[in-house]
Amino acid sequence: MDTSPILAVREVVKDFGGVRAVDHCSFDVMPGSITGLIGPNGAGKTTMFNLVSGAISPTSGRILFQDRRIDGMGMHQTFGLGLMRTFQIPREMKRMTVLENLMLVPAPQLGERLWASWFMPWMVSRQERRVEAKALEVLELVSLSHLANEYAGNLSGGQKKLLELGRTLMADPKLVLLDEPGAGVNRTLLRDLSANILRASAERDITFVIIEHDMRFVMAMCDPVIVMANGAVIAQGPPDQVQQNPEVLEAYLRGPGSSTWQRAGTDAEDPALDGRRT
Amino acid sequence: MDLAGIADYLVAFAIMGGIYGVFTLGLNVHWGFTGLFNIGIAGFFALGAYTSALLTTSPPDPALFEDFKFGGNWASIGFLDWGLDVWFVLGLASAALCCGVIALVIGYITLRLRDDYLAISTLGIAETVRFFFLNEKWLANGSKGLYRIPKFLGDWIAPENYGYLYVVVVFAVLAIIYLALQRAVNSPWGRVLRAIREDEVTAQASGKDVFRFKLQAFILGAMIMGIGGALYAHHVRFLSPLTFDPMLATFIIWAMLMVGGSANNKGAVLGALVVWGIWVATQSLPGILSDPSFRLFMVGVLIVAVILLRPGGILGEERRVTRLADSDAARPNNPGG
Ligand SMILES: Nc1ncnc2c1ncn2[C@@H]1O[C@H](COP(=O)(O)OP(=O)(O)OP(=O)(O)O)[C@@H](O)[C@H]1O
Ligand SMILES: [Mg+2]
Repeated sequence: MDTSPILAVREVVKDFGGVRAVDHCSFDVMPGSITGLIGPNGAGKTTMFNLVSGAISPTSGRILFQDRRIDGMGMHQTFGLGLMRTFQIPREMKRMTVLENLMLVPAPQLGERLWASWFMPWMVSRQERRVEAKALEVLELVSLSHLANEYAGNLSGGQKKLLELGRTLMADPKLVLLDEPGAGVNRTLLRDLSANILRASAERDITFVIIEHDMRFVMAMCDPVIVMANGAVIAQGPPDQVQQNPEVLEAYLRGPGSSTWQRAGTDAEDPALDGRRT
Repeated sequence: MDLAGIADYLVAFAIMGGIYGVFTLGLNVHWGFTGLFNIGIAGFFALGAYTSALLTTSPPDPALFEDFKFGGNWASIGFLDWGLDVWFVLGLASAALCCGVIALVIGYITLRLRDDYLAISTLGIAETVRFFFLNEKWLANGSKGLYRIPKFLGDWIAPENYGYLYVVVVFAVLAIIYLALQRAVNSPWGRVLRAIREDEVTAQASGKDVFRFKLQAFILGAMIMGIGGALYAHHVRFLSPLTFDPMLATFIIWAMLMVGGSANNKGAVLGALVVWGIWVATQSLPGILSDPSFRLFMVGVLIVAVILLRPGGILGEERRVTRLADSDAARPNNPGG
């Protein structure tokens, strides 16, 4: 069994001016796992994703991906190593079709070289057909096929979240960071989503780290779960253990995310709750 | 005006319209597809024009007591001639190369920074180029200007009919640039540019080296503008730094792109012809109506009208631009607009 972590975060600090968004965080993500990253609003989860993906650089500390320092790299470089992320607030290419949004992603595209588009268009076009077929397949998976030729900017909030997820399915990443993939997505579709994530994890050997406020989703999908509060990691372990941890409960009760947590325990089977999350 | 007079008039219009079409295509690479805000088109215009003119023009006759000494004189070098005036192609290529190198330097410095730095530095380069050619009298005769710029295939046709030849040359160059650009923007390369225009961060998260693509687009657009400048130089055959004022060398090209349709190469060329047509037509209006400031105002009105009535321009961006995979019969639905 492979025991070295695919992602290792070591004593990472991130300051924004006077605000310390991430405060000496350390944790490991094991290969093949679906790791949950939870915590109240403003805990620093998205900032952690930004640090790991290379959108921003840490103030101090180290981040290792497959034993290789990646802090300070740009997002296109971490992508090249096999690390993909989605955005909490979807960032689609508005005036490009949904299909083109996906076709952009696959990494080594011959046609991205100007000379190839001029001098070997037949080869580029052959590759394009493959990329397009792949994109149509992914659209099927995220239930957006009927919108393939719509401008991405015209999608609804939930559909944009699905498109974000679709982007990660277009490439062959080793590690995928999903920032609230389920926010604004309806319950039935969320079930499909979970199934897709589980399948990708099992069949394609992709490791996931998922930020999610929906505790039912986290408890069902993730093991282990890492809990952040005020920029620090306050607990990690199997979901049922974390759920009992007094420190975690307290962080949630104090923080603005308290109601979400309680719902996980008490309302798990209540279908009436389905549309209630914001 | 007799028939021949009208024809001459139309040819003169078409030549400048076609040259403006080249600039508009260049700006389309910058702004339309990549979202690079170049407000110093005049700089690349002037650089391209002077490069080709200086390399091909003969040095001045000492008897004329001119200040300047330089003149590449390619037009009189036998082996660049062969009766085919090969020097013309080399002049255009040098203009493109020179603009490309300058764009590489500016782009390398500014394209990593915030967008506004590029805008400021393009404005800066336009003014710098102008002052450079104004002050370095030994090179380009300062404000007295450079003249006797050679004609491409000037021996082939009587001077009074030369326009009929040059208009074909201009539109041939325009067509080549248009076709090359269509291929480029239809390909995954063009898709990356548009992704950068829409959201740089997502493009980066999709593994694209945004800086590299922006640099390529900036260089390509600048090279096209350089070719436009060279075409202009061999058309007007006289250059002075005062030719390249921001109004007719930058602003009007932006107007052309806005009116014709940003991110649509057909629209860019159409916009150049339409706006240039209005500009030329209003020249012969009576009294104050032909005043340049009034005509400028008319162009402004036209831009506002287009923005209000057809925000994307006369021919806006097509919904799906990358079409290399379109032969695939398995397309679901393909709305045509
Ligand atoms: N670019 C930035 N500049 C300044 N402060 C920032 C920046 N990004 C994040 N912060 C601050 O860092 C803290 C953590 O924010 P972050 O977005 O990581 O929270 P989060 O855990 O993702 O919360 P949520 O669950 O609401 O998405 C917040 O206080 C936020 O205001
Ligand atoms: Mg967040």
